[in-house]
Amino acid sequence: MAPEISNTSMFFLIFFVLIPVSLSYFYALGLGKSIFWSSLRGVTQLFLIGYLLTYLFSLEAFTGISIMLTVMIVVASLHASKKGEGIPKVKIITFLVIVIIELFVLAMWLGFDMIAFQPDQVIPMSGMVIGNSMVAIGLALERMKSEFKESKGKIIAALSLGAKPEQASKILIKKIVKSAMIPNVDGLKTIGLVQLPGMMTGLILGGVAPIEAIRYQIVISLSIFASVSLSAMLVTVICYRFFFNNNQQLIPITEK
Amino acid sequence: MGNQNIIMEAKNIESDRLKNINFKLFEGEIVTLIGPSGAGKSSLLMLLNRLEDPKKGEITYRNKNINEYEMVKLRKEVGMVFQSSSLFDGTVEDNLKYGPSLFGEWDHNRGKELLEIVQLPVDYLSKDVEELSGGEKQRIAFARTLANRPDVLLLDEVTSALDLKNVELMEKFLKDIIPNQVRAIMMVTHDIKQAERLGNRTFFMDEKEIAEQGDTSQMLRNPTTESLRAFLEEGTIDGT
Ligand SMILES: Nc1ncnc2c1ncn2[C@@H]1O[C@H](COP(=O)(O)OP(=O)(O)OP(=O)(O)O)[C@@H](O)[C@H]1O
Ligand SMILES: [Mg+2]
Repeated sequence: MAPEISNTSMFFLIFFVLIPVSLSYFYALGLGKSIFWSSLRGVTQLFLIGYLLTYLFSLEAFTGISIMLTVMIVVASLHASKKGEGIPKVKIITFLVIVIIELFVLAMWLGFDMIAFQPDQVIPMSGMVIGNSMVAIGLALERMKSEFKESKGKIIAALSLGAKPEQASKILIKKIVKSAMIPNVDGLKTIGLVQLPGMMTGLILGGVAPIEAIRYQIVISLSIFASVSLSAMLVTVICYRFFFNNNQQLIPITEK
Repeated sequence: MGNQNIIMEAKNIESDRLKNINFKLFEGEIVTLIGPSGAGKSSLLMLLNRLEDPKKGEITYRNKNINEYEMVKLRKEVGMVFQSSSLFDGTVEDNLKYGPSLFGEWDHNRGKELLEIVQLPVDYLSKDVEELSGGEKQRIAFARTLANRPDVLLLDEVTSALDLKNVELMEKFLKDIIPNQVRAIMMVTHDIKQAERLGNRTFFMDEKEIAEQGDTSQMLRNPTTESLRAFLEEGTIDGT
């Protein structure tokens, strides 16, 4: 199969890189070098992934899917847990939460026959769920740390009124889960009206009929919504306890 | 006060922020806690309902080490009022019922009773706390702690952000509830005049220690330590 965008055409993308580079030069933003390198890095990464996926798709379904999912989950949990530095065992917790989410979503997809157990379906779909969960977990961890600082007075007040840590931190868990959900609620309201979601765009460009493409988009959008809410909830419900000691007292989390 | 019942007692307390703390709190009294910023006043209060624990020493409540009480019960008995920023998001009633609901004993009428104590109209129960004035918020924070029917009440600078009228009101509430609704009060204040108006006894804290303690009017009139004398002089110059 010949590539649909030729190498020559790809080459002219250089103009899209030169624009921010010249702007950076013109306004002395000092970003020229990093724009160049990050573009190069992005392009290289994508080509490598392209070859890797081609290889994985050629493998037996179970092998290809397991390898890729493992890599994606490990990278995602390492990245998300950075935001939770200072919280004990945050890496392993993040990892387990993403594994749970992925298995749950996968079970739904396969169980109800939404997609087939083939690398070319499971991997891209899972990638979107894992990527979005990664962002949601990172934000939840970050928010948890800042909320425990900002709302310290409220939590201490709750404890002093007799609340146990799990009761006192409900005040925050509510806020954190809500803030993870809001962007998705808003996003779903305008979905397709302002910009066509990435996956649907891809399918349409690839020749899939729009009315088919939206079905995949609906599956993925709702899957992301569920996983994002669930991952923010799980990670907060698991991690709140590290902000308290055994005597139901608040302990400060120190960043390394 | 000498032969009255001791309700709380601290013996040889040491922590990172406190040193050699010894005192008794008697039934029926208000103790005012004064001293320069950073002296350890808030840190001391936090030990009394175990929001923090000392490194050494013993604190008793009704002749029993506070560590022997079930935590939730201790914190209900030894209540603490914070500044109004500690109010929870939601309505006045959400705030007032927070403590009692933890023990499954809230009823709407209790809310009305509490609002009466702090002289706010009963229809305030359904108001969002964001809509309240600073003084009203502070009164709700006070009522929220009273909702648990505490035996001892700890207050940390609860009037420092209020105007004169609200300060007067809060002081009146404190005098009203002692000794029938609450058996003893320990309050931190940076206002020496207030310490004098409310206190039966006063503790002066300086550099992690209780540098001086005694009968309020006597102690403030005739300070024995140099540090208290200096502190009182500064206070009068500031006009506080
Ligand atoms: N959470 C904390 N962790 C570490 N140190 C603290 C903490 N809170 C207070 N400190 C320090 O402990 C000392 C005593 O603080 P504390 O809040 O008890 O003083 P204070 O007498 O209440 O002062 P103020 O009148 O300003 O409220 C101060 O040096 C303060 O910086
Ligand atoms: Mg203080």
